[in-house]
Amino acid sequence: METGSKLDLPAVLVAPAGGPRGSWLGQFLRTNFEVFQRDFLALLGLIILLFFVVVAIFAPLIAPYGPTEVIEQEGIWLSNKKPSDQFILGTTNLGRDIFSQLVYGARPALLVGFSAAIAVSMIGTLVGLLAGYFGGWVDALLMRLADVAFGIPFLPFIIVLSAFLDPSIWNVVLAMAALLWRDSSRVIRAQVLVIREQAFVSAAKVSGAGHLRIVFLYIAPSILPLTFLYGSLAIGWAILTEASVSFLGFGDPNVVSWGYMLQDAFLSQALSRGAFYWFIPPGVCIMLTVMAGFFIGRGYEEILFPRLRRQ
Amino acid sequence: MRRGIMLYIGSRLLQSLLVLWAIATILFFLFRLAPGDPTVAFIDPSFTEEQEQALRARFGLDKPLHEQYVIYLANLVKGDLGDSFFYSKSVAELVLEMLPNTLYLSFASLFVAYVIGVIGGIVLASIRGRFLEQAGITVTLMTRAAPEFWVGMFLLAVFAFELRWLPSSGTSSPGTIYKSELEKLTSKDFWEHMILPTATLAFYLHGLPLLLMRSSMLEILDQDFITMGRLIGYSRWRLMLRHAARNALLPVLTALTLGIGYSIGGDVVVENVFGWPGIGRLLVRAVSASDYPVVQGAFFMIALIIVVLNFVADVLYGLLDPRVGASEQARIS
Amino acid sequence: MTLLEIRDLSVIYRTQQGTVQAVDRVALEMHQAQHLGIIGESGCGKTTLLRALIRVLPRNGKITAGQILFKGRDLLTLSEREMRQLRWREIAMIPQASMDSLNPVQRVGRQLEELLTVRGKLDRAAARRRAVELFEMVGLGTERLEHYPHEFSGGMKQRAVIAMALALQPSLLIADEPVTALDVIVQFQVLEVLRQLEHELNLTILLITHDISVVAQLCDSVAVMYAGQIVERSSAEQFFNAPGHPYSLGLQHAFPHLVRPKDYLISIEGYPPDLHHPPQACRFAERCPFAEPRCHQQSPALEEIAPQHWAACLRAEEMDSLRQQAGDPQVWLKTQAARQSANGNGRHFSGNHHDREVKTLPTAQVAAAQPLVEVRELSKRYHIGGGLAGLLRGQKPQTVYAVNHVSFNLQRGESLGLAGESGCGKTTTGKLLVKLLEPSAGQIIFDGQDTAGLSRRQLREFRRRVQLMFQNPFEALNPRFTLYRSLAEPLIIHGWRDKAQRRARIIETLEYVNLRPAEAFLDKYPHQLSGGQLQRVVLARALVLRPDLLIADEPVSMLDVSVRAGILNTMKGLARELGLTTVYISHDLSLLQYTCDRIAIMYLGHVVEIGPSQDIISQPRHPYTQALISAVPVPDPALPNPPLRIREGVPRPTQQAIGCPFVERCPEAMEVCRNVFPPAIKVSEQHQVLCHLYGEHAASPRLPEPMEESLS
Repeated sequence: METGSKLDLPAVLVAPAGGPRGSWLGQFLRTNFEVFQRDFLALLGLIILLFFVVVAIFAPLIAPYGPTEVIEQEGIWLSNKKPSDQFILGTTNLGRDIFSQLVYGARPALLVGFSAAIAVSMIGTLVGLLAGYFGGWVDALLMRLADVAFGIPFLPFIIVLSAFLDPSIWNVVLAMAALLWRDSSRVIRAQVLVIREQAFVSAAKVSGAGHLRIVFLYIAPSILPLTFLYGSLAIGWAILTEASVSFLGFGDPNVVSWGYMLQDAFLSQALSRGAFYWFIPPGVCIMLTVMAGFFIGRGYEEILFPRLRRQ
Repeated sequence: MRRGIMLYIGSRLLQSLLVLWAIATILFFLFRLAPGDPTVAFIDPSFTEEQEQALRARFGLDKPLHEQYVIYLANLVKGDLGDSFFYSKSVAELVLEMLPNTLYLSFASLFVAYVIGVIGGIVLASIRGRFLEQAGITVTLMTRAAPEFWVGMFLLAVFAFELRWLPSSGTSSPGTIYKSELEKLTSKDFWEHMILPTATLAFYLHGLPLLLMRSSMLEILDQDFITMGRLIGYSRWRLMLRHAARNALLPVLTALTLGIGYSIGGDVVVENVFGWPGIGRLLVRAVSASDYPVVQGAFFMIALIIVVLNFVADVLYGLLDPRVGASEQARIS
Repeated sequence: MTLLEIRDLSVIYRTQQGTVQAVDRVALEMHQAQHLGIIGESGCGKTTLLRALIRVLPRNGKITAGQILFKGRDLLTLSEREMRQLRWREIAMIPQASMDSLNPVQRVGRQLEELLTVRGKLDRAAARRRAVELFEMVGLGTERLEHYPHEFSGGMKQRAVIAMALALQPSLLIADEPVTALDVIVQFQVLEVLRQLEHELNLTILLITHDISVVAQLCDSVAVMYAGQIVERSSAEQFFNAPGHPYSLGLQHAFPHLVRPKDYLISIEGYPPDLHHPPQACRFAERCPFAEPRCHQQSPALEEIAPQHWAACLRAEEMDSLRQQAGDPQVWLKTQAARQSANGNGRHFSGNHHDREVKTLPTAQVAAAQPLVEVRELSKRYHIGGGLAGLLRGQKPQTVYAVNHVSFNLQRGESLGLAGESGCGKTTTGKLLVKLLEPSAGQIIFDGQDTAGLSRRQLREFRRRVQLMFQNPFEALNPRFTLYRSLAEPLIIHGWRDKAQRRARIIETLEYVNLRPAEAFLDKYPHQLSGGQLQRVVLARALVLRPDLLIADEPVSMLDVSVRAGILNTMKGLARELGLTTVYISHDLSLLQYTCDRIAIMYLGHVVEIGPSQDIISQPRHPYTQALISAVPVPDPALPNPPLRIREGVPRPTQQAIGCPFVERCPEAMEVCRNVFPPAIKVSEQHQVLCHLYGEHAASPRLPEPMEESLS
């Protein structure tokens, strides 16, 4: 059936979700709600994330021991214990409770994940908006900067940074903010270029609307779903990166993160001893949180680019 | 007809050089302006003033900053990356020694990942809308969410330690010495050592091309010329492979440029898990030991690999897509 | 001999809102060598019918009933494999938007050869020979076989697709809007190719289109589709001389006619019914001026009202008298749909608004003395691919000369039409006029003031007084704003603080544009409105600040023919009432003739001819204007187009002309035209042309006829 002339843009970028009435915020929340309503995987991702948030907040209540607490019995360290009723996941070779470490490990993971996501998506959105809307030398400069950022290997960059900075989980956030805006800014710029040429934006210009009004009232709302898409992907990236950095030994030695646990296990010959109970759970936790971010991101992608879903 | 193509390649080359220059500059300032003198780690408190001065002079740190910058760039162009603080070798020597290993690993894993990814993407696109497709996507996302070093650890624990099928570390069994790279490359031992790290990297890397190939295929399959093909009465497989897949491959190739960047990042971790003597492991060790010239050299080498491979991918893209480099003229008229 | 017989075919689509009855019990018959045109507006199911015929429906589409007998075999009973064998060998198609129907990364010749070897079972050498033959047949140079699609112009791609369609000598050729989206001259040339081949190859063609003039040019018989059903079937002659359905009557009176211009175009108010719940009565009743109470209850069947002429109308017997009445525009204002929207095309707002507007207007004398807009030597150039950024992107630096030394005046209250092919600079000129773009050279003087270097305050005032109306109503409104918000934006920007005043002004304006009751529209979002309604909202937004100058860029080209006239009539009426000066930008000369006092013809950024509309249409002087006019398709098979006289060629906006910009394509080109830019010659007081034919060099020797003359 002929659909007449419609925009070539994804539905989310053009049509407000839900009913006819509602404030801008209302529409916006509804769009976000719709992602989780429509997409089961996105909902699953959200549930996983919320689960880990709860775990992180109530870690002291859930974990039977402290993360670095050395458990002794009659002056002897209870090291390398296999899983039992007392130690659900066994103990490390220093006699620490693996399960408790796992619970506390959610804290740095989520902290890094969320702060990096916010930093990356905010910078990326801003750069994309500016480059796309103003064009000209602003665009040229920002996009060449993005090219350079694309040329810089990400993980090695963080490793080099740790040579200068004191070990801290914030290094990862800093490095991500410095480099990873490149992906989102490019995509958002491309989208802004499309929206900028839309007649309704020209109409605002002809009516005398200023740049700020056009950027924030006409263009920004249309690209926010993209911001969220890249934000949720960045959660995953940040957690993965933090784990890698900790695994390589450049993490904060005072923070027990999942990456730290894996490094600990790796260096303590857990592999050759077949101590799967030690190194499998942290990996699974990392995978689950990262996956949660990807699932949510995919939810946004599906409504942003419905072509992929159409049968 | 393809007059524009040389211009396109030239511009890509120029752009690559610009990026390299920018990275070199960032590196330079990172190392000079960072808190503390880069030689701090090297200078013993027992050094006398003169010894210290001599040392600074040896590393060229006594000159004004802009002069240092010019010397640094000139040296970089010549391939002179300075000397290691700890090994009695030049950085260039060290890096070149490690380079082949890193390249073998990168190429092998990228190759495996792209073959699996492209085929997987076509398969997923051809079963679109079915439950299996959703399951395939979910599994692929899981592989992308699993930390590489953890996957490596798991493979090590199972195949190296439990089953003892494959070696756990390095490029060769203890005591083996190869006379040449060729001998190394043709020995069974080396390839046995390659299997686990390559599998680990490919396990992670194949997700990107797979998902991209799928979405790219779906997009192409919705285009008018495919509908035209259906109208013409071409068979499903002819349409899928000869018409859709070739066009769909182009954006996947562009994404290769992204994939390379992430793959080399992943290399660093995987090399450390498998004790693979490559540039990534060199970098990590140098950072731990505060061997700044090596840090700088190894990092620059990694960046160089990325930029060069990106350039190659861009050129490939230009050669495959007749629209690239077509003059503005054609588009207007 | 009957080639194709469709019996009671029904097709549905499953959508989120339910089931759409897209094609409803359609019956058709075609014999060999027949050229049948199916006419219908968007959403009437004509494309679906075509797709069902070759069984290539979207996945949510399903054929629920009927038979499609092709050469005696029911296509619906064939296996997919048998069907695939039949496609293209027996039934080939020229698809809609065939611009994108070629594989972008394969040479066109290669695609043709693949078709011939894989489907036509020819060997490579034979395929090669046949490809050359086919290209020659559709008038494409054989060297074009080696080119990629992006190196083809729109018309050339269309010819290539026609070549592909004819490659296997199908028994039936189906074409979906074969010339839509092509420029008028190219459109004419492609139609010519089709018309020629139609006779040479004795083709059987089934064509669907919204444009009755295409049917007039190509078809010997006609079927009219409305809301999923066929409402009339007849020979082309009968359809144009004595249509048998009120909808057909409406369509014919809604089409502007260049040769026999109408004083007033009718508009069929309202919209087709929602096919999720088709009414169990005549589907056209709501929009029909002749509907009686029984029409809203009873569904008419397709009956033979004259020999070989079928129509589905309960009042078919009175058709002779209805035909008489249909010529009167007032009749079309009495439909139920028109009454429901409290519409009246002739009715405008009451006097008190009028008084207030008049105060801001200058007196007649001033108006005569000083034009509202003076455009002097206006030029716009774009530099592409220059600078470091361009070098990095691998672009060749080039200059596009979009607008060149354009000068004209706009008197207060007059309407000027800018016409020309796509890329001629008319839209750029419009954007320059509203200051969406800054000119590279030249001046625009608005109300005595140079618009370059306006102060902030002056610019604001300029923005209030000059407005733009956009081509695509689906894109012209912020999809996230309610209509109220969209209309309030200009007022807010211009400092209307008082909410009640804003609301009053918005409601008043919505009523001006015949959206009534206005209150019902305020809280709606753009996607809840039809194209015609949206375009009225766009007009309202342009008028909400009560501007003096309105630029309308293709204001109705995206709309269905039946609602076009309604918008144009409203615009014409409002311009008169509000003393508005208007510039219409359009590729459609018949539309401009209908709406404008004067027309300017643009070619490659130059205004090559300007003058009163009547003079331009009836006595065109410039060879390009003459070509444009003879290419406009006439919605009447009895009036064939005059031969088109223009040489093949592609306008190149990247080269600045030393001589006449049209010289490459001009059938009258003289030696002087190559080297000397033509002077502006006054044909009459108001009529001016940029051509050597009427100047001192008129005796200059003619350039030799080129080898490649146009096909016509």
